[in-house]
Amino acid sequence: MGDLLAGFAVALTPENLMWGLAGTTLGTAVGVLPGIGPALTVALLLPVTYGLDPTAALIMFAGIYYGAMYGGSTTSILLNTPGESSTIVTALDGHQMARNGRAGAALATAAIGSFVAGTLATLALSVTAPLMVKLALAFGSAEYFALMVLAFVMVTTMLGDSRLKGWLSLLLGLTLGFVGIDGLSGHARFTFGIPYLLDGIDPVIVAIGLFAIGETLWVASRGPAIDELLPVRGSLLMTADEWSRSWKPWLRGTAIGFPLGALPAGGAELPTLMSYAIEKRLARRPEEFGRGAIEAVAGPEAANNASAAGTLVPLLTLGLPTSATAAVLLAAFQQFGLQPGPLLFEHESALVWGVIASLYVGNAMLLVLNLPLVGLWVKLLSIPRPWLYGGILVVASLGAYSVHRSAGDLLLMAAIGVVGFLLRAIGAPIAPVMIGLILGPAAEQHLRRALAISQGDWTVFATQPLSAALLLVSAAIASWGIVSARMKK
Amino acid sequence: MPGVLASRRVETTCRAYNPLVRFLVVAISLLLPTLVTGQPLAITAPAAPGGGWDQTARAMQRVLAQIEPGVSVQVDNVPGAAGTIGLARFIQSERGNPGALMVTGLVMVSGVIMNGSPVSLADTTPIARLIGEYEVIVVPASSPFRSLNDLLEAFKKNPGSVSWGGGSAGGTDDLLVRLLAEQIGLPASSVNYIAFSGGGAALAAVLGGQLSAAVSGYAEFAGQIAAGELRVLAISSALRVSGIDAPTLRESGIALDLANWRAIVAPPGLSAAEQEALTARITRVATSAEWRAALAQNGWDDQFLTGPALKQFLLAEQSRIEDVLRRLSATNSASPTRLALTLTPSSLPNAIAICFAGVWILTMMSLAGATLPVRFQGLRMTGAIIGALLILPVVFVSLGFVASSTLLFAIAATTLRARPFSVRSVAADLIVGAAFSLALFLLFTRGLGVALPGFP
Repeated sequence: MGDLLAGFAVALTPENLMWGLAGTTLGTAVGVLPGIGPALTVALLLPVTYGLDPTAALIMFAGIYYGAMYGGSTTSILLNTPGESSTIVTALDGHQMARNGRAGAALATAAIGSFVAGTLATLALSVTAPLMVKLALAFGSAEYFALMVLAFVMVTTMLGDSRLKGWLSLLLGLTLGFVGIDGLSGHARFTFGIPYLLDGIDPVIVAIGLFAIGETLWVASRGPAIDELLPVRGSLLMTADEWSRSWKPWLRGTAIGFPLGALPAGGAELPTLMSYAIEKRLARRPEEFGRGAIEAVAGPEAANNASAAGTLVPLLTLGLPTSATAAVLLAAFQQFGLQPGPLLFEHESALVWGVIASLYVGNAMLLVLNLPLVGLWVKLLSIPRPWLYGGILVVASLGAYSVHRSAGDLLLMAAIGVVGFLLRAIGAPIAPVMIGLILGPAAEQHLRRALAISQGDWTVFATQPLSAALLLVSAAIASWGIVSARMKK
Repeated sequence: MPGVLASRRVETTCRAYNPLVRFLVVAISLLLPTLVTGQPLAITAPAAPGGGWDQTARAMQRVLAQIEPGVSVQVDNVPGAAGTIGLARFIQSERGNPGALMVTGLVMVSGVIMNGSPVSLADTTPIARLIGEYEVIVVPASSPFRSLNDLLEAFKKNPGSVSWGGGSAGGTDDLLVRLLAEQIGLPASSVNYIAFSGGGAALAAVLGGQLSAAVSGYAEFAGQIAAGELRVLAISSALRVSGIDAPTLRESGIALDLANWRAIVAPPGLSAAEQEALTARITRVATSAEWRAALAQNGWDDQFLTGPALKQFLLAEQSRIEDVLRRLSATNSASPTRLALTLTPSSLPNAIAICFAGVWILTMMSLAGATLPVRFQGLRMTGAIIGALLILPVVFVSLGFVASSTLLFAIAATTLRARPFSVRSVAADLIVGAAFSLALFLLFTRGLGVALPGFP
């Protein structure tokens, strides 16, 4: 605790506060802009911050990281165009809420949920970092695979009303996920000799295609009676009912996001998907999911921010970057001659705790910064719809291009957009495509890695206690799901 | 240490200003990266931000900013397929441009072979090899293997029982273990190599005791080695490296050394004078005190090499890597692997694709009699927008972002309009689209320094 208080003394100096504010503002901006992520921004800023005091620079970078997590939900909710893979899940119900006239509430629950999750997860980071490392290291490939199985079992609840069409979407996503060079053997799979496909299909491009382009094509096919505006109903901020539906998902999202983010094979995709699945299971009206349920925005957004804090655990304690942004942050540490790892807390105590304390401060700043913006963002929806959809197409293509600066990605985006339109036309759900694309390759890699380490011995999943426990839980959930489905009939 | 002195100087100058002024000065310099003038230089880092190539490019950018103040140096990240995507683009679009450079290295040599890339490093103009990072073989502190010989004994007895972890397949880490196996008389394919997304990811697995040993650049493991959590069994340098307490492979009787070198190349089609000028410029960078400070900071070994010696070196590396990869793929396909039960790279994807096809047919059958949830009133409108999107990539590259986005915007808006379109509405759509696209363009290129195709 003494360390943390000393950290606050560092973070609250006027100069560091200003760097924190600059970072959070910039972070919110790059989060809102599609295709520009925190990783690229920090990388761009690295050379110019060379002469800066390391603490100030790292406080700004941390602010950018957290800020981008806040800003990322905005385009997902308003334009159905997720800019980063961590906000793909938010688009599912967030944009539906906007169409129902509750864009303000969706943005507010995302911002407040991010604040709650960010603050709690930072608290967890300051208290449990050493413990989390031990837990994280206990996760080998067998355990990861078991965790992925659990995730799959949970997210099959997201397959939609028609099981057959749900599986169609999921298998499509899984197939797309295998495209590219196999990370374990270096073999090219499903690439048909096209060099462009060697690196696989980026989930962000697919999300932009399925959501933004697919939706626009769908709207166009419904005929031209769309000169009316998107409605804005009720209060701009959240109603009492929306508050009471939001706070539990915030807490659950935090509880899921932080530990999963701290795992060395972390990332924000798995925690946000799992949060969505859990909220749907626990919701009083699960049928609202996919049509604008506030729980489906509150939970994943909290999980997203909590996992961002979780990512800092392996980064600070092991020197292990688990996301692109963390990798750039690691480079930032090294630029100042600091080596994150077991000795960082001992050698650079003031700096580390200063940065951690600045995260608390930054979270408060972000809430103050983002809530007033809600009103401004919602005004965007009062643009005439032909222009709104024209703008969506331009922003989507800019986002798809900026990810890799590749014109081929624009063609992929268009093709996926047509697929998204066709899926909508036959009434198949969209979310399972994303689930398959993100979870499938990760699960396959861990499965094969575990088998390679055990030399082909499949019993490894049952003999490792952690993996066995996770698989048992998955089996229990799956059988409970089948039994309860029978009971309903 | 001149680097330290320089940073002291910066510090003392800065202290003279109050924090607000200092903040504003740096903040403004961040927001207006385009104000600097001079002979511009664009360095392609054919990898995502944060990786080794990116770090090298950005270190060069930093040093150039210090020794040639006022010169604009831009780093472009073109990630993908072990750098071969960036390589292809560099050769194609920068041909004959003396203001373009690209960072490359050992991994690209194997990437070109493994990905069957139609272009290779031979198509570029090599300028200089800059740095190298040596590989270390580490085991957890609790491991029974006390020395490299312990590890190799177990490896020889039962190759499959020793799991080696490191970065991606075909990368430096993988190559080192395969070359090591061949040196002690085992086929390269007998190595049970577990590829991770990078040395850092393998770090967690070796610390957690899931791997027998991990192989990667020294810097990746430096923190854990210093903390005593990892034991270094060997380093892949020819001679001992000062500051690293580890025997070389040669000391253990293995005639092998390997450095993860990084070099800088120029595009093809440069005149001899242009090549000389670039070489001189890079030599100035590589011999500067600022560059030496950057090397020390990153733990990179200075391996500066230019001219004919560099060409010879590149040829030698090319043939050594080609050989081991060829033997690897030959033996891999010939012998049924002892991991017969293990999934092959294609078994799961094929199974899933077959399932997908099956479910697709079932879905189509179920849809045959049913009425679809849509009435395709606006199929023509959808078609128009799809058409606009399909020609977008071509227009985007040839006409630039602003013009192509204006067109896309106008086509979409005009198509979606309820009233029959008039000259006035089309003009309005074009003007709004152009204003919106131009604003986005300026924001991205000027404000954020992201390169977009500009104007024709």
